[in-house]
Amino acid sequence: MSRFLLGLIVGFLSLVVSISSFAQNRYVHANNSSYDTLDPHRVNDVARVATRLNFYDGLYRWVDNPPRLIPWLATDHTVSDNGLVWTFTLRGDVKFQDGSLMTAKDVVYSMDRMLKLKSGAGALFLPVLDIGSTVAINPTTVQFKLKEPSAIFGSIVSDIFVVNSTLVKKNEVNNDWGAAWMTNHVAGSGSFSLKRYDPALGFIGERFAGHFAGWGPKYFDEIEFRTVVETNTRIQGLIRGDYDGLDGYLAPDQVMRLKKEKNVQIIEAESMRVYHIAMHNGRPPFDDIDFRKAMSYAFDYDGYIKSIMQGTVSRNPTIIPNNMWGAPDGLAGYSHDMKKAKEYLDKYQARNPGPIRTITIGTLAGFSETEQTASLMQNSLKKLGLNVKIESAPWPVISTKMQNPDTMFDMLPYWKSTFYADPNNWLGELYGSRYAPTRNVSSYKVAEVDKRLEDAMRTTDLNVRKRLYQEAGKIVFDDAAGIWIYNTKWFGPYSTRVAGIRFSPVGNGQDMRWGYVK
Amino acid sequence: MRRLQIILSRLVWLVPTLFGLTLVVFLIANVVPTDPARIIAGENATAAQVEELRHELGLDKPLHQQFGRYIYGLGTGDMGKSLYTARPISQDLLSRLPATLELTVVAILIAILIGVPAGVISAIRRNSLTDQVLRVLSVSGLAVAGFWLAMELQMFFSTKLGITPLNGRISGFGPEKYTGFLIVDSLLAWDMESLRDTFMHLLLPAVTLALPAAATLVRFTRAGVLEVVNSNYVLYESAMGMPRSLITWKYILRNALVSTVTQIGLIFGALFAGAVVVEAVFDWPGLGTYAVQSIMRSDNKAIMGFSLLVGFVFVIVNLMVDIVHTFIDPRTLE
Amino acid sequence: MSAFKVLFGDRAAAIGAFLIISLVLVAIFAPALATHPADVAEFHLDKRLQAPSMEHWFGTDRMGSDIFSRILFGARITITIAVIAVGASVVIGVPIGLVAGYYGKWIGGAMMRTSDVFLAVPQIVLAIAIAQTLGPSVENVILALSVTYWPFWARLVYAETRALKPQIFIEAALALGASDLRVMVMHILPNIASAIIVRTSIGMGVTILTAAALGFLGLGAPAPTPEWGRMISEAREFLPAAWWYAAAPGLAIFVVVMGFNLLGDGLRDILDPKIRRGSK
Repeated sequence: MSRFLLGLIVGFLSLVVSISSFAQNRYVHANNSSYDTLDPHRVNDVARVATRLNFYDGLYRWVDNPPRLIPWLATDHTVSDNGLVWTFTLRGDVKFQDGSLMTAKDVVYSMDRMLKLKSGAGALFLPVLDIGSTVAINPTTVQFKLKEPSAIFGSIVSDIFVVNSTLVKKNEVNNDWGAAWMTNHVAGSGSFSLKRYDPALGFIGERFAGHFAGWGPKYFDEIEFRTVVETNTRIQGLIRGDYDGLDGYLAPDQVMRLKKEKNVQIIEAESMRVYHIAMHNGRPPFDDIDFRKAMSYAFDYDGYIKSIMQGTVSRNPTIIPNNMWGAPDGLAGYSHDMKKAKEYLDKYQARNPGPIRTITIGTLAGFSETEQTASLMQNSLKKLGLNVKIESAPWPVISTKMQNPDTMFDMLPYWKSTFYADPNNWLGELYGSRYAPTRNVSSYKVAEVDKRLEDAMRTTDLNVRKRLYQEAGKIVFDDAAGIWIYNTKWFGPYSTRVAGIRFSPVGNGQDMRWGYVK
Repeated sequence: MRRLQIILSRLVWLVPTLFGLTLVVFLIANVVPTDPARIIAGENATAAQVEELRHELGLDKPLHQQFGRYIYGLGTGDMGKSLYTARPISQDLLSRLPATLELTVVAILIAILIGVPAGVISAIRRNSLTDQVLRVLSVSGLAVAGFWLAMELQMFFSTKLGITPLNGRISGFGPEKYTGFLIVDSLLAWDMESLRDTFMHLLLPAVTLALPAAATLVRFTRAGVLEVVNSNYVLYESAMGMPRSLITWKYILRNALVSTVTQIGLIFGALFAGAVVVEAVFDWPGLGTYAVQSIMRSDNKAIMGFSLLVGFVFVIVNLMVDIVHTFIDPRTLE
Repeated sequence: MSAFKVLFGDRAAAIGAFLIISLVLVAIFAPALATHPADVAEFHLDKRLQAPSMEHWFGTDRMGSDIFSRILFGARITITIAVIAVGASVVIGVPIGLVAGYYGKWIGGAMMRTSDVFLAVPQIVLAIAIAQTLGPSVENVILALSVTYWPFWARLVYAETRALKPQIFIEAALALGASDLRVMVMHILPNIASAIIVRTSIGMGVTILTAAALGFLGLGAPAPTPEWGRMISEAREFLPAAWWYAAAPGLAIFVVVMGFNLLGDGLRDILDPKIRRGSK
């Protein structure tokens, strides 16, 4: 009898406990990539940005849409006349999560660590900085001595996530700069501290009350980010109330479905993530401008945007997102015109008689949009008498193949994400020679474009840069170097119980600092 | 003595078999179209950065040297680090093994609970309607694609009816992790809510996995029992006046047991193969999803690591089955 | 050996044979039997994801193509993979097993140890690794499956050969001057043929399931090939609304594998009632 009573009490208590944890302000997010590592200097992809944004802070921070940089750990900066010395003033009141104070030497250590590990955002800084070129002038001033001028440096300092150098050094093993320890631990100053972590499941963060930026009246006490690979499962979970938020680049079918649910809100925002088909400009017949123009006119843009994307995205005629400064003005873009396509193809054939070889289009396994794009293209080209072979592979394989001109496909549809909000992120990286072959996978090398891109990197005058990018963009457009289709719209699926989600194309909606339960 | 001989010789063969396996997997894992240095360096790296990283990681050394270093590392229990997570492979494997084991064991138990009695009944009521129905069901059980069944069950019970969870081993992160087996950890923490949650999450995946195993068990139990029922010594004992039920319990079930044990080794293999896709459908954080993920990402060390682990587990399981067999059925010692 | 049992054996084999023959006929005559034969390669974006109707018996898929027709054409791929993969592994594995079992000792030991290596991990895991390495395509799936399946045949034939070798009739043949090769091919092989045949039928079913799993994981043929496993994985995104999208290919797989299983079971009962164990 007493055992039964005990069981009853225990059962009741556990019920009470679970109810009260529901009342807590918790946010649960389901992500499609796994958070393999907590080290902010190891990875830089947008899919796993939650750990960096919530556990750590950068010198500046990208917020809102259109994205703007706000002072964060640093309050302002100055640039020397030759553009080589960047001096940042830091806040003096930033506490790490273990209570110690952040100073310039932590910034120095963090930058050197990134350069040493050679991964993640380090790749952005390696071309312009060496280890040891970062100096702490005094506890609140840090100076970067660049190897060459870089107009975008101010935009990428948001990726310098500052780690607690004292704590990390204490956990170094065999000179590894804390690499082993940082995989499973957090040494940051960010809005949330690590509560629980399981690389197979995800992580739980708990609010860091002592964060320098303070807190408003409402906030999340706890955030939980889980890995759920299958899209359909994530959506079901949101509908059932298991999750409060998902990634915002779902297929239109899913978005339509979620819009019908009463407990789901879709936050719309025009993002900066251009979907395009890269063409291998270095391999015949794609090295011929008439052939490329034929390809550009062959794709059924309207069919794709209206039927497959169900009108949820906007046509983007060039590589730079429409809502980004520096995009060339007044361009309507190539349209689906089979007559024109045939004309250009005939022009090409007149100079190059003989049969045209089979064209390969690569697609990303698991990303049905790329497969549908390829099928559409294959269909159009068949009408022109061209043979197309579609190859599918997971992203790591595609990534490797595309960065080598010998193995890169003739055509490859994919998205270009925003790492920093500057035209160089699109036009420069994808069509500048200096970025071949790893980011410029199109093997596009044109001196006129390179000159303008280099000049734009050297000056910080916004008007000059804008003009240069617009001119360069027009040249690339006229060269039909690629097939640019649409700019993604971000449809953030969230539960109706949360609010305050501050979306920025760079943050991917995983920045939970300002969110709260209604 | 003979038993000891068998065990020892099998253990001795374990080493070269695993070595051969490592070699085969190493060759496969390294003849890949993916460049690990590129992946670690990230999307934004330049070609020069990638080359530097390649050199640092030792990936530019000739294959046989890399293989040698790996084998040497194995001796010290170092399986290398994952290319993606920089986490020691052994750590990753150890944290994921309980998930798959728990699922597999529960599936085997379900399969035995369903399959063995069904097989016995099927045999005793040979050629009756019950027998025919059971035989058809068991053939069907082996004809269904595991991933398809998993998807349909998930769609029906979790989405439409909402009575089972969608995915994962547990809502949230579960109780404090001591063993990694959620059932055990829940009991250790006396967390009844977690225990109940764990069972609910285990339900669909374990049943999906168990079905083909149960089907196999029905057939083999039936065959084993039939063998006994027809055998001479049962006839003899029956003629001697032994009650029917005693004959049943004494011989028939014992033979059913023999058949089951024989099959567990085979079934274990089939269960792991099934786990690969079932884990994928239910987002189960076990070795199956780890295997597929590592292969898709060409995470060489991870691929070699889990192949070794799985190979090792298989050989041990088969050995144990054979040992148990020698106890149950002395004829195998001949 | 009641009459009933022979009847069941017969009936199972008959049903199985009927299903298999239907599959072959469907594969051969797919263009004629399909309601929308062009939909193997064509699509109609305005008719996406429609429920089953009089016009589209199994509904349409994400590109608007008729699922029924695609399933019929998918039968071709299924048969091709099953026949070539199983055929190749039998052609490789049986001779190896014969030689190993016949000569025993070192050769036998070496061959069996080699096959042990492949049997140490589940077939699907190795197949995934190989298919991923070579790149997703039907040819590579067949290759991956053949390479990982031959050890089963080798093992099977090895065990059977070892059991037969010491028998009197073999000794007699050798005493009469028959060569080793002759003994293996003319005396041993015919005696183990029934075991091989039974296993082949069941092996086809297993291979189809494994191939479908590879297609499901994205390692099979690329879009827009109507491979059944791939169709199921495409369907996932659209469940539970477009339930027909996954149900149709899943049922197709089920029916076909059932056919092979029934045929194999029936053959087993007919050919040699003594064979009772061994599903693979």
